[in-house]
Amino acid sequence: MQGLPGTLPPNPHARPAGAWGWWLLAPMLAWLALFVVAPMAILLVYSFGSRGALGVVELGFSLENYERIADPIYLRIFGRSIGYAALTTLLCVVIGFPAAWFIARRSPEWRGRLLLLVMVPFWTSFLIRTYAWIAILRSEGLLNAVLKSSGVVPHVLPAPLDLLYTPTAVVIGLVYVYLPFVILPVYASAEKLDGTLLEAAQDLGAGPLRVFREVIVPLTWPGIAAGMMLVFVPAIGMFAVTDLMGGARVSMIGNVIHNQFTRALNFPFGAALGVVFTLLFVLSYALLLWLGRRRDETAKAR
Amino acid sequence: MKTRNKLLLLGLSLLCAVTVAFGQARKRGELNLFAWSEYIPQAVLDGFTRETGIRVNYETYSSGEEMLARLMARRARFDLIQPPDYIAEALIKNGQLLPIDRSRLSNFGNLMPEFLNMPHDPEQQFTIPYMVGTVGIVVNTERVTEPVRGYADLFSERHAGRIVVVDDGRELATAALYTLGKSINDFSPANLAAIRPVLAEWFSRVKLFDSDSPKTALLSGDVDLGLVWGGEAALLWQENKKFHYVLPEEGAHMFVDLLAIPRRARNVENAHLFIDYILRPEVSKLISDEFPYTNPNRAARKLLSPEQLANPASYPPGDRKFDTFRYLGEDIAEAIDKMMTDLKNARR
Repeated sequence: MQGLPGTLPPNPHARPAGAWGWWLLAPMLAWLALFVVAPMAILLVYSFGSRGALGVVELGFSLENYERIADPIYLRIFGRSIGYAALTTLLCVVIGFPAAWFIARRSPEWRGRLLLLVMVPFWTSFLIRTYAWIAILRSEGLLNAVLKSSGVVPHVLPAPLDLLYTPTAVVIGLVYVYLPFVILPVYASAEKLDGTLLEAAQDLGAGPLRVFREVIVPLTWPGIAAGMMLVFVPAIGMFAVTDLMGGARVSMIGNVIHNQFTRALNFPFGAALGVVFTLLFVLSYALLLWLGRRRDETAKAR
Repeated sequence: MKTRNKLLLLGLSLLCAVTVAFGQARKRGELNLFAWSEYIPQAVLDGFTRETGIRVNYETYSSGEEMLARLMARRARFDLIQPPDYIAEALIKNGQLLPIDRSRLSNFGNLMPEFLNMPHDPEQQFTIPYMVGTVGIVVNTERVTEPVRGYADLFSERHAGRIVVVDDGRELATAALYTLGKSINDFSPANLAAIRPVLAEWFSRVKLFDSDSPKTALLSGDVDLGLVWGGEAALLWQENKKFHYVLPEEGAHMFVDLLAIPRRARNVENAHLFIDYILRPEVSKLISDEFPYTNPNRAARKLLSPEQLANPASYPPGDRKFDTFRYLGEDIAEAIDKMMTDLKNARR
């Protein structure tokens, strides 16, 4: 994701790929065709079909499923999913950027150790980590036990926190899951940033805020943009966290799609939701590209 | 939840498939089993393979509708499925099941007659009962001292934020129909409109929806009451006698999970062998030990301990009559799902 087009100049040493290059790419292309293009094509074909007896998909050409998406019920859920994903992205950047910056400014050996800490959670299954959060947040869980034993609960807060199975728990879960996806790309950008540029900016009279705004952010933007994409896009579709930590009370678009295939016996409608969902991804990707390009252009214009 | 079970079972079945594939030179064919997650003990599958040499490929689902959709949509051939009663009814009506050859089932006589010839399969031609259960209310009597007799008590204002319910639209809609005194298989537009405000009020008081393991939140004390599967309630009672099981006074329904052979099955012979194996008293007892639903096998019940038989969630006392679900068609399934989505969404 580092090479978001439009954010980096084209490589001047690039040569057109020869036959060899294509051969080396073949496994990847085959993988893409088999597991990305083909399923998307099936989804697209299904989305125009209709549901027959016993939930069998009848192919055809009907826009009915797309019309149904315009139902306020589903539009609201789309809206809410985007809201949750945006909040998650914002929190991930706010928490992840300083962390990444901190790691990038350590000595090389410390950088390695700290990065390892960021990646350690990936060694455990995502579901097990989510269950760990349930154990922490539940009413008689770790968090409330700590609050009670430290005296915070009767003195500062009137009652134990009731976090599990609330929207707050969903956001905590989402931020936790996706935080490394911001830290890693931002770290990669921040590590490459030449420290002398910061000194130069300071020597030329820029205050800390101005250095941050006009030097640090533009130079780490590729990392921030990549991190935002990596969080925002999958967060919209996440359904496991809303089920487990939100008590299945809050429906996100991922839950609705999941239900079409498992309960409502309506594959075509689920497929149509999936298609619209994919289009949303493409749109948000395009938006980020546009933002990045505009940033480059304003930078050049100065 | 679903995902957890699926991953777990996927792992288990992979492990099982690999060990069997390597350990079994004298392979005598296979059995493609499509069943509920967390419903068939591994010991039973292993025992069957050890005895017959037949490899069991085990795939799972976590709702009857999911099973139906996958059975119909895929070219995959399952040899044995485990549909709930109303899904089996739809499959029978659409000619999707093969008749079961009772002459190949030496243990058929172990089944109790009250679980045979039920409305989903009046001639008992296509299905064999696996386990039976009710859906009822669990109360943590240490935390809830007032009496809870039915749905109205369960979802009363004073229990707001202390309730877990199964995440199953049809179950919840059924509870609402009972509360209004209507037939549970009548989802006419008028009835759908009538249950909507009832469900909306209930949903505002529910703490969480969980079909896979509603007992967990009750055990940990996150909630004090629940509308759960009888087998889950039975496990809670085994764990701690403070968890009382209540069959709602407004009405309760019973579900029968069945074994059936789909039309496109390849290993029909093996499917019969497996059914007959399950019907053995000592094998059926293993299932009851792990998943304490109501066992329809009379010979197996004789092997259960007095404690198991006294579990009110597995074997409700008295001879109360229960309703069963009928298949109502895809439009109803979809209308219920849409209402659930809308009501959950409207909550905040």
